[in-house]
Amino acid sequence: MANAEIVGRMPEQTADRKPAKASQRSISAPWFAQGKILFLQLLLIGGFLLLWEVAIRAEWIKVYLYGQPTGIWRELVKGLTSGTLLRDTWVTGKESILGFLIGSIAGSAAGLLLWLSPTAAAVLRPLLIALNGLPKIALAPLIVVWFGVGIESKIAVAAIITFIVAMITSYAGTQEIDGDYLKMLKALGASRLQMFRMVIVPGSLPWIASAFRLNIGFAMIGAVVGEYISADQGLGYQIYYAGTLYNLNAVWGGILALMLLAVLLDSAVGWVERRMKWR
Amino acid sequence: MSDADIVLNAERVGMTFEAANAPPVTAIADIGFQVHRGEVVAIVGPSGCGKTTLFNIIAGLLEPTGGRVEVNGEPVHSATGHVGYMLQKDLLLPWRTVIDNVIIGLQVRNTPRKQAEAIAHELIESYGLKGFEHSYPSELSGGMRQRVAFMRTLAFSPDVILLDEPFSALDSQTRLVLQSDVLRIIRERQCSVVLVTHDVGEAITMADRIVVITSRPGRVKSIHPVNIAPEQRHPLKIRKLPEFTALYETIWSELGIDLAA
Ligand SMILES: Nc1ncnc2c1ncn2[C@@H]1O[C@H](COP(=O)(O)OP(=O)(O)OP(=O)(O)O)[C@@H](O)[C@H]1O
Ligand SMILES: [Mg+2]
Repeated sequence: MANAEIVGRMPEQTADRKPAKASQRSISAPWFAQGKILFLQLLLIGGFLLLWEVAIRAEWIKVYLYGQPTGIWRELVKGLTSGTLLRDTWVTGKESILGFLIGSIAGSAAGLLLWLSPTAAAVLRPLLIALNGLPKIALAPLIVVWFGVGIESKIAVAAIITFIVAMITSYAGTQEIDGDYLKMLKALGASRLQMFRMVIVPGSLPWIASAFRLNIGFAMIGAVVGEYISADQGLGYQIYYAGTLYNLNAVWGGILALMLLAVLLDSAVGWVERRMKWR
Repeated sequence: MSDADIVLNAERVGMTFEAANAPPVTAIADIGFQVHRGEVVAIVGPSGCGKTTLFNIIAGLLEPTGGRVEVNGEPVHSATGHVGYMLQKDLLLPWRTVIDNVIIGLQVRNTPRKQAEAIAHELIESYGLKGFEHSYPSELSGGMRQRVAFMRTLAFSPDVILLDEPFSALDSQTRLVLQSDVLRIIRERQCSVVLVTHDVGEAITMADRIVVITSRPGRVKSIHPVNIAPEQRHPLKIRKLPEFTALYETIWSELGIDLAA
């Protein structure tokens, strides 16, 4: 919970960074500049939190509408010590990751296979165009009705959204490949299946990689919205539930945990993505 | 040369493109010529006269609307894989290393990988790319890339090699080096080659015979034998020969008449 710690301790931290900055004067310019940016960032966040806390204490704004930094900190500590915060993060993380993997892998495969069957691609084109334009999250209530209140329905929401994105992106990738590569292979006597293996699949990998990168975000949206609709655990559920009780501190706590989860998952996918790219 | 030596025979080949909302375009009409074993035939003609169309037909990528093409006496019916076809673009697959690009034609034929790599290594070593086997195309110069594309075409020992303006994207120095290298290689291996080029000098340097095509619809205007000995075919020295100058002017005037008409 590094984020939570930084947020909670911000005022003191900015205070003891000041001497550090002074000692950095002797170090080379880039380091000094880096330290300066970090210092200004911490100052901005710290100042903001301080102003927020003061505004609540002076009763300029109402705590049940905005929450309060020290209150958020208390919620986070409470969630951490009782273990509920970790459990809910784990639930939402599991839903996102499973939905992401199922949807992205199956969707990419489906998009690539559409290249093998131009007839199927032509038949499905209107559907693809319609799905591409649709805000896919609008499907969530339907999916929750079909798959129930359990964790399966959140996985399904994430999987279906990411499936659509991966299928459309990977199919678009196959269409972007220079037709002269296929002409060259055909002149060599290659079958359509050989062209698929040698050109279409490797040539679409950069598109597939970027679909995966987009999809980790979509999977989290799917899981959280699924939890908003109907659930009894997970960060989305906790945020929604706390919201109905006007417990804004708990809402903020949940949002911070989601942010941290998003950063973790996104950098994991980014790490894999860099390995997938040729060139 | 006897008829038995003919590896490529094009007879009255015609191609008319039909379009839904435009008048049909006749790209080529009644084109006929032969290539003998080990012979290099150059095709020159104005832009848009159907040279690439003709190559697509010979390679089996396009069904002609008239006439026929035979390779080794067998008709070409939308079958592919019988000729080596090198396009103006090198079309190296960017995710494959040099050696993996060279062996792709052999992989298509399901040649065992060890055997394919041995063939590729031999080509890469003898044609000056040793040390670059495991480089990616993006790490090579334009001339090196075109060399790799040429090796890919040679690797599966096709009966006929079609070269469509293979040097046109290169700077003039690289171009001369590649011309003489490719010429040496096709002589060494006794390849039968059809070369499309806009450069009349290049055609005379490389070819045994030159086929001049008229502007659209492309027809054979004339066929000139090039009577210059192999040892005199140095891209620079050849230009000083009287035979070169005479042929150069004849072909230019034939193309020039077409341009004026
Ligand atoms: N698929 C097609 N449909 C309709 N017209 C075509 C098609 N392919 C080629 N053409 C036309 O046929 C003519 C010959 O084209 P082609 O590319 O064979 O010429 P080229 O001699 O190779 O030209 P260049 O020297 O510029 O490479 C052109 O006028 C072109 O517009
Ligand atoms: Mg052309």
